[in-house]
Amino acid sequence: MSFWSQSLEIARVDLTVERRLGDTMRIVLPFAVVALLVFPLTLGVDLTAISQLGPAVFWAIGILFGMQVALRQAAHDDQERRDLYALLGVDPAARFAGRTISGAVLMLGFLAVLLAAMIVLYSPRLPEGWVGPVVLSSLLVAVGLTELGTLAGEVTAGLHNRTALASLLVAPLALPLVIGASQTLEALARDASILPWLLILVATDLTLAIAGVGLARPLEEASR
Amino acid sequence: MTKVKVLLAIASVAMAVGLWSALTAPTDTLQGDFTRIINIHAPSMWLAFLAFGLTALGSGMWLLRKQMGWDRLAAASAELGVMFTAIGLFTGMVWGQAVWGRAWDWGDWRLSTTAVMFFVYIGYLALRGATPDPTVRARRSAVLGVIAVIQVPLVYFSVNLFRTLHQTQSIRPDGVTMPREMSIAILINVIAYTILYVALLVARIEVAKIEETRATETALAGDAVKPPRLSEVKDV
Repeated sequence: MSFWSQSLEIARVDLTVERRLGDTMRIVLPFAVVALLVFPLTLGVDLTAISQLGPAVFWAIGILFGMQVALRQAAHDDQERRDLYALLGVDPAARFAGRTISGAVLMLGFLAVLLAAMIVLYSPRLPEGWVGPVVLSSLLVAVGLTELGTLAGEVTAGLHNRTALASLLVAPLALPLVIGASQTLEALARDASILPWLLILVATDLTLAIAGVGLARPLEEASR
Repeated sequence: MTKVKVLLAIASVAMAVGLWSALTAPTDTLQGDFTRIINIHAPSMWLAFLAFGLTALGSGMWLLRKQMGWDRLAAASAELGVMFTAIGLFTGMVWGQAVWGRAWDWGDWRLSTTAVMFFVYIGYLALRGATPDPTVRARRSAVLGVIAVIQVPLVYFSVNLFRTLHQTQSIRPDGVTMPREMSIAILINVIAYTILYVALLVARIEVAKIEETRATETALAGDAVKPPRLSEVKDV
């Protein structure tokens, strides 16, 4: 099997597992929407402030809860499954790519539902022509966050404090994604160029992809 | 250990010279003596970048060569990088309170990105602390050490990417934007702090070697219990 065939097969298996378990859509997503609901309650009835903060809250909650989506994906990869992939001769880099593809698909769905919920709950004043840039930045955030989650999941595999530690590793490293995504919409509102912010997202995704593929083998050895 | 003592003695002298140059350098008319904080702040941040760069180098070399010496370098440098980042953040906040009127400015990207970089390496040290096996620890932290360094250019160039409160670099390829006497004092302190960093790095690596030796020498529970020999077991 070629690299991409292996990757797509792993992505398909991951998405099948998610379809059966429904962790993302049945647990993480409702929890994220609750967080969207709780935030305005702390602000009171200041509708203008709520409307203005909507996009920022969307990105903050999207990235924090998206992290959980990314880490849950990695958590499914237990030692037995890892050994099975190794015995089957699956390229560790293809495993990383497959996991990134499935995670990005899930994350994109998660962000789409969260965005719709934010628009309904916050009534934000979004700049004209926001759809394309938001979809593009969401896609780039989804890919970057999944890459980070997969890497953190591998690095912390088998540790007793894995959940807390992986979150601590992913949250600060997701900073370029937070900046790129939030500033894209800001730039659009100011009628400025969104290109530098999209470039930050692309550069982060590429760096993580190179790191993930390049370090896939040492990561596989590390998880033993 | 003599090497460490000599290095620490040199570092002490260098730090004394640095302190003297900071205290005798001219001050800014508006900022007064608060200008002198820059003699601690700028070298600390420079060393944080250097330390994290060396952590990435040590991590990359460990992945290539699998020699524990590179892991010790990466770990020791990360610890010092965290320490210097903390000093840089603290001195920056003291200066900000005096000059900007507030210690923390949420609109300033240099502050926010530096704080995030600090937490990335706190995570690196937490990962090391959570992994008991030395080889597994070295391998996992090497991977993280290589990835974590992507924050460093973001912090460094944040002042160019986002024009907020923090000023851009004062010492640039096209010239220096501050009085000569002040920049000389900063330069002396950069050299002094770098010597201190090298001394502390060597000392920490030596301590790590001792820790590793002691860890292998420490008896584990059950070590004294020997498995019975079949010839000694009667009535089987």
